[in-house]
Amino acid sequence: MLYLQLIWVFIKAGLLGFGGGMAIISLIQGEVLARGWMTETEFVDIVGISQVTPGPIGINCATYVGYTMGGVWGSVLATLAIVFPSLVIMLIICRIYDSISNRYQDNRTFQVSMRIIRILVVLLVAHAAFVLFTPTTFIDWKSWAIFGIVFTCMLLPLFKRNKATEVIGHPILLILAAGAVGYLLYFL
Amino acid sequence: MKIGTFTIGGGYAMLPFIEEEVVNKHHWLDGEEFVNMIALAQAAPGLIAVNSAIFIGHRIAGWKGTVACVLGAVLPSFVIILLIAMFFKEIKDNPTVEAIFKGVRPAVVALIAATVIRLAKKI
Repeated sequence: MLYLQLIWVFIKAGLLGFGGGMAIISLIQGEVLARGWMTETEFVDIVGISQVTPGPIGINCATYVGYTMGGVWGSVLATLAIVFPSLVIMLIICRIYDSISNRYQDNRTFQVSMRIIRILVVLLVAHAAFVLFTPTTFIDWKSWAIFGIVFTCMLLPLFKRNKATEVIGHPILLILAAGAVGYLLYFL
Repeated sequence: MKIGTFTIGGGYAMLPFIEEEVVNKHHWLDGEEFVNMIALAQAAPGLIAVNSAIFIGHRIAGWKGTVACVLGAVLPSFVIILLIAMFFKEIKDNPTVEAIFKGVRPAVVALIAATVIRLAKKI
């Protein structure tokens, strides 16, 4: 029963996950929290680990959640389930690629629907972020300071795009730095 | 077929690396096809890295290529994460690890919050 639920949750995430990694994570987050599988804090830890581990963040997250819920088989099923919709849809796209590749970029209906999807993705990720402002994550002013600094660094490349801001705004480096800061602030 | 092509980096970080391998080194796709591939991989639901792998695999060697590229994209992260997940369960309550994650958690929330702004700019 749990295995079926895992497959269902991750097929849905793979099928509805427009907009790449963070959008998929937001979908997984919604399901996992609604089903009471994990607390916000546990999920945030998984996202942090997924971010600093090589590989697509959505795969990392699916494998991790699958393992936590259903052991090794859970992780296998969750990973397969999140890839499966992509497989079907992309193969169909490949089949018709040559006939659509020249037309679809100028197609108005296509453009408008992609725009609507992009707006929905922003709302989805915004909601996911909003839900994660919990007292267990923001324990004191220091956590807010870390949040503020990382948030600013992430947005720097948007205003001034060069090598330096790209490095400062790199998510993997920021997570690793935050881990080091956490160690210094809370352990020593 | 080189399976280990798509192992390093995540999501958008992977694209320049894939371009180097697929376009410049192995000439599996030309530049224009590569740009089309990214557009399609983003437009379709699912992970961009996985979608790209499926597209490239299908182009080079049909369904066999697809399977090989998907495994190449997924398997390394799957194995690494599985090992970490097993290991992390044991060390979760260790005070050092807990301190590190006290720092990581607000950073993760900041990452997701910043993603909202970054995506909103692309609307």
